[in-house]
Amino acid sequence: MIRRTILTAALLGSCLCGAQAQKSSKERIEAFAKLPDWSGLWEFDVYVGESVGQEVSPEGLRKENAYAAAMRPTFNPGWQPKYDQAKKAYEDSVAADPNQPEAGLPPCAVTPFPATMGPGFFQWRVTPEEATLISSQNNTVRHIYTDGRPHPSADELWPTSEGNSIGHWEGDTLVIDTISISNPYIVLVAEPFQFAFAAGPLSNALHAIERVRMVNHDEMQIELTVDDPIALAKPIHITITHERVKNFDRMEDTRDADCDTATDRNPVVNGRFTTIVKPAPATSAEPPK
Amino acid sequence: MADSTTAPRRPSPAARGASRSPSYYGKSVLNILIGVVAILGANSAFAHHSHAMFDSEKEVTLVGTVKEFQWNNPHCWIQLLVPNSDDPKAEPVEWAVEMGAPIQLLRHGWKPSSLKPGDKITVVVNPLRDGRPGGQIVSAIGPDGKPIGAAPETNK
Repeated sequence: MIRRTILTAALLGSCLCGAQAQKSSKERIEAFAKLPDWSGLWEFDVYVGESVGQEVSPEGLRKENAYAAAMRPTFNPGWQPKYDQAKKAYEDSVAADPNQPEAGLPPCAVTPFPATMGPGFFQWRVTPEEATLISSQNNTVRHIYTDGRPHPSADELWPTSEGNSIGHWEGDTLVIDTISISNPYIVLVAEPFQFAFAAGPLSNALHAIERVRMVNHDEMQIELTVDDPIALAKPIHITITHERVKNFDRMEDTRDADCDTATDRNPVVNGRFTTIVKPAPATSAEPPK
Repeated sequence: MADSTTAPRRPSPAARGASRSPSYYGKSVLNILIGVVAILGANSAFAHHSHAMFDSEKEVTLVGTVKEFQWNNPHCWIQLLVPNSDDPKAEPVEWAVEMGAPIQLLRHGWKPSSLKPGDKITVVVNPLRDGRPGGQIVSAIGPDGKPIGAAPETNK
């Protein structure tokens, strides 16, 4: 009797599991079919047509200046001194070495949020549970969870470069909600960093909403709204355009091979890129035999 | 959680730099076989950021021999030996020509095998402002007399 009960329970369980797996698989396939096709490579419109030396085109420069103007922040009076202090610190570092007016990152640091306004290629991986944005610049990855979960509770949340992102679909538009960004600036990744091309510093109360949609086969638009009641007198709102990359379909990381400032051609010393003479890296242009 | 007031670290690794040949220190005569061409800046309303170290209003044409072609992240480099036409007995000047990341070069039609040590090439650069022998590449002509790579428009 007991053995029969156990056997019956086992058969019943397997039938239920099988039915559940088939149902979720079917549902998942149906969910996939409803998602937009964002496949391919994309690039920020500022960098379309950049030269082999990374020189932005005249049209790209015009767009860059337009973005910079659109994201210029209006700070709350109580926050303005923080901006002034940060800007002065930056300007002092420039004055100390005019040939290297850059506050540098270690070679392998990721591009911070939103990581959508920089050189290189972008690639979306969209599933029912998550949309993933991959950038070739420093192999930066953003995870946007679309499975209905909320942001983590405060005791499970800590600030990161990309923040914590959740999203939902409104038709073909992905709406992304991001919080918990460490050291937040909204940076138009111009080289080098300049306050003319950044909005910040911002506070840990920063809350960003992005509305992402494919306008047509060759254009993606990201409407970014950045709200920060502590730092900003009013939200920042810009529309970022990505264009489809044609005739090229390969992603590669652009970070220094060994992330070692000792061998990097452009090492960071005291937070500044330098022009210290370095020996040529061991990697050569010779293809492997 | 402390509020941030420090300037952010620049996210991109693509910084500017120049290699100084061990044989070159201090001032020396820059050997430019074809003259410096001054060009007008495209937009002077905002100083263009990516030329902070390079003079975007100058182009220098270098004719020399490839010492090394470095296919590396975050920048590829051409180390170019440029002879001193004023003094043939003098050591050639080693110029460091900075380029984009390998994947960016590939998109422009360059390959790791595009240059080899010993290749005689012509390179146009925006030179370093401080006068050291370095620059950001504008274009290059290979040993066969043909342009290396393709203009960005051909990839659209």
